[in-house]
Amino acid sequence: MFAQLVDGIFWDIALWVFGIGVLWGILSIFRVRNKPDYSEPRGSGTAGAVGANLRRFLPRTELVSRTRLHIVAGYLFHLGLFALLFFAAPHVLFFEAQTGLGWTPMPYWAFIITAQLSFLGLMLLWIHRVMHPVTRLLSDLDDHLAAILTFIVMLTGCMALIGEFEGLRVLHRFTVELLMVYFPFSRLMHAFMFIPSRAFTGAWFGRRGVKA
Amino acid sequence: MSDKLTLGMEAMRAQMDTRVMSYMSSCVHCGICAEACLFYTETGDARYTPIYKVEPLRKLWRQEYTFWGKLAASMGLSKKLTEEDLANWEELVYDGCTMCSRCSMVCPVGIDIAYMIRKVKEGLAAAGFSPEGLVEAGKRAVEIGSPMGVTLKTLDATIRVQEKETGLKIPMDVEGADYLCLFSSGEIAGFPEFIGSLAKIFRATGVSWTISSEYFEATNTGVQLGNSKMAATLVERVVSAAEKLKVKNVISPECGHAYTTIRWDAPNFIGRPLPFRVVHIIELLDELRRDGRLKTEGVNTDRLSYHDPCNAARRGGVIKQPRDLLAMVAPNFTELPETGDMNWCCGGGGGVSSNERADPLRLKVFDAKKRQLDAIRPEGLVTACSNCRHMLEDGLEENEMHDIELLGITELIADHLVEESG
Amino acid sequence: MATQVQTANRHRRIIVWSLMLLIALMLFLPLIPYALAYVSPEAGGVPNPGTELWRAVRSGDKGTSQVQGVDTGVLINEYGEAWRHFRMEQLIPFGAMLMGSVLVLIVLFYLVSGPLRIPGGATGKKIQRFSVFERTTHWFTVSLFWLLALTGLILLYGRFVLIPVLGPEGFGLTASACKEAHNLFGPLFLVAILMMLLTFVKDNIYARGDITWLLKGGGMFGGGHVSAGRFNAGEKIWFWIAVLGGLVLSASGLVLDLAVFGQGREVMAISHVLHGIAALVVITVSFGHIYMGTAGVEGTISSMTNGYVDEAWAKSHHDRWYAEMQAAAGDDEAEQAGGGAAAGVASPVAND
Repeated sequence: MFAQLVDGIFWDIALWVFGIGVLWGILSIFRVRNKPDYSEPRGSGTAGAVGANLRRFLPRTELVSRTRLHIVAGYLFHLGLFALLFFAAPHVLFFEAQTGLGWTPMPYWAFIITAQLSFLGLMLLWIHRVMHPVTRLLSDLDDHLAAILTFIVMLTGCMALIGEFEGLRVLHRFTVELLMVYFPFSRLMHAFMFIPSRAFTGAWFGRRGVKA
Repeated sequence: MSDKLTLGMEAMRAQMDTRVMSYMSSCVHCGICAEACLFYTETGDARYTPIYKVEPLRKLWRQEYTFWGKLAASMGLSKKLTEEDLANWEELVYDGCTMCSRCSMVCPVGIDIAYMIRKVKEGLAAAGFSPEGLVEAGKRAVEIGSPMGVTLKTLDATIRVQEKETGLKIPMDVEGADYLCLFSSGEIAGFPEFIGSLAKIFRATGVSWTISSEYFEATNTGVQLGNSKMAATLVERVVSAAEKLKVKNVISPECGHAYTTIRWDAPNFIGRPLPFRVVHIIELLDELRRDGRLKTEGVNTDRLSYHDPCNAARRGGVIKQPRDLLAMVAPNFTELPETGDMNWCCGGGGGVSSNERADPLRLKVFDAKKRQLDAIRPEGLVTACSNCRHMLEDGLEENEMHDIELLGITELIADHLVEESG
Repeated sequence: MATQVQTANRHRRIIVWSLMLLIALMLFLPLIPYALAYVSPEAGGVPNPGTELWRAVRSGDKGTSQVQGVDTGVLINEYGEAWRHFRMEQLIPFGAMLMGSVLVLIVLFYLVSGPLRIPGGATGKKIQRFSVFERTTHWFTVSLFWLLALTGLILLYGRFVLIPVLGPEGFGLTASACKEAHNLFGPLFLVAILMMLLTFVKDNIYARGDITWLLKGGGMFGGGHVSAGRFNAGEKIWFWIAVLGGLVLSASGLVLDLAVFGQGREVMAISHVLHGIAALVVITVSFGHIYMGTAGVEGTISSMTNGYVDEAWAKSHHDRWYAEMQAAAGDDEAEQAGGGAAAGVASPVAND
């Protein structure tokens, strides 16, 4: 019963909410237009937008010594999650079944190490968030919910790893559906919104001849 | 709802644009911006975290532009933006931020936080939560034409002294000159040698220039206060003065925010392109150097270093020019650690210097600059902003760092000029 | 100020509830699919006709086999029975008695003597005891420790506690989930233990006065004041039990987890014995640590939440450390004299 719902109607709902929600989230920022910039540009705004999108994947060297934990844990978690999402063997099979597109999954040992490193990153980031006076002051319910929900999705995924229990697979898929429904209304949207944000800032600075 | 709150919210609503919407939905509260901010690093107070200073704008965005925010606000579940919030944020935004934009350079999702703080100021100013010092400066700027109350009489007197000292005629109201030069009040009052230096350099390089008696103030208190209307009024005065004298170029003097305002923001305040080109004096000097018109002789063998004014460098793009100019006259030039687009602010930008209430905090956060200077301990520190220079003087005095001499780049060049008949 | 306290309180509530939610979900999420498991129960219990044969085979002699690998020549592992006996007859009952009796003792102690109060009450002046990184390290270790302890205890005691509740199929699912999680998080615990070791080892070396502290039972007997540095002898002992126990757990755990280095059943059995004993010892001692850090000693918990303790707490429990901190703060202040108003601005958490 529950399994049928999770694999059927729940999944469809989650997919639609996620898809439309994300699209609406991205489009809705254009509800209020930017004012035109009449100043004579010194450099290219487009180059600045692209440049900032690439450059901001790396931390500024001036800040490395002050943000070591952010950098290490941030990379571990984000790269790990990306690899797990797209290259875990069960996920590749799932995408293939859904879309017909398949690619080479990572081997089992790589999955284990990747999962461990991303858990390491996520746990350190969240605990640091709670412990550091700055992030403690900034964080709200959304920040904590997003972290915990992601943790639970990853945890149920790893619990279902052995693949022998249908119940565990269904549980994992259910938590994924919860995450997908939560996603567009939450700070998780940064997964998409960082691109326009970097582009706006990069273009603004780029026009002035500054590499942002 | 109180009137003040209504006014503040209206002003902030008018500031909402695609960029703000994108920034607001990107922030993950990682706190990295705090580590780039001198107010946080030097006080350890989490409230000075740059993105936290934007909180009033974020609350407005949340309750009026997001799904859950609107829902929660309509059901009375969320804490709405209050007048108390605006009152509480006045000190954080006006005293605890110099708009230096260092945070904007490090945000991993690419948020230009200073851009949004400027918008928060717009709301606070409209609601009447601005520091008295800055409000008074704004009044003087509109009424007298100078935030420090420098009148044409004062300028005339200063010019006469400089003419006597240099033996050169300083051109006033010359129609059809190539360049119109503006000054900051701080320059006229504190560093009048700048005007004499310009006269020397322009004579040697054969640049035709003038000063307008109608309007000569380069700074714009409207920007620092967060009052776009006032900013536009002051910009229109520059445009009108330049149009009357039919100049093709306007020179921004050694002042950071004057440069970003007149060069980059002015056309947007008045809603049309400027009828003239704007150059920072360093840009012009560098152009003259490249054209072979600016020639120097002799060098300053001191170990000199350069303080990038945030507005000229990080927010203005004038980073390479001063270094090329210094290469002509300062063979022992040494860079500060964390320089150029990541330079630490002097502590007095964004109107903080006009806000006496902030003085103790400003001198406290000067520790960031002190640390940077201590790392290389230069014999002289050159800068290209009279406000930075005042603030650096103050900070060095406070920390008893009397061994560091402060220099303006234009004067330094003028002191080593090859005198040729232009 | 009031809003700051409110915010701090709200955050504290969020954190506490989040942690409780995490633990609760860890335990109860796997229960959701039980409905599913009950829908189509498999038929079980077919009598095994080969009982006699297997009994004969289990003598444990080594033979030859086509399959070449670790222990492939052994049809039945003779140590298996000894190991099974140890696990079922000793580890499980004695472990339960150990943990249970210590829990009971702690509760009795609390009921009889109550919490240790700060002498003279709190002064309201706070000093920082643990940095952000130290606290992050601590809570990272705590999270992993309890993830592993709970999943481990379910694997060890689940058959007695959970099978009656969930039935054999249900427990099979839970056990499988717990085993996967336990094996996955295990290696991370080594990272946590090493982080703990590096962060705290310098203050946990034996120092003069530690023996006296122990002889006086940390102030419980002998009367009079007991002197201590940043950590007292009791805390130091706990530190080394946790670190050494953690290393034994990690090493034996890795032997069990990564069965690809040619270790045979005998090595695995020994590792399991060590793993079980070390786990039960560290878990049991951790009860004491948790009690002392929370209900047992007034004013201690804040040192690990916001990082600050009351001055009176520091003076009474860690007088030598307090003196060191005062001396260091004095130097700082002398340096910052005339540093302006903001010098007095502390982080908001420090003031609550």
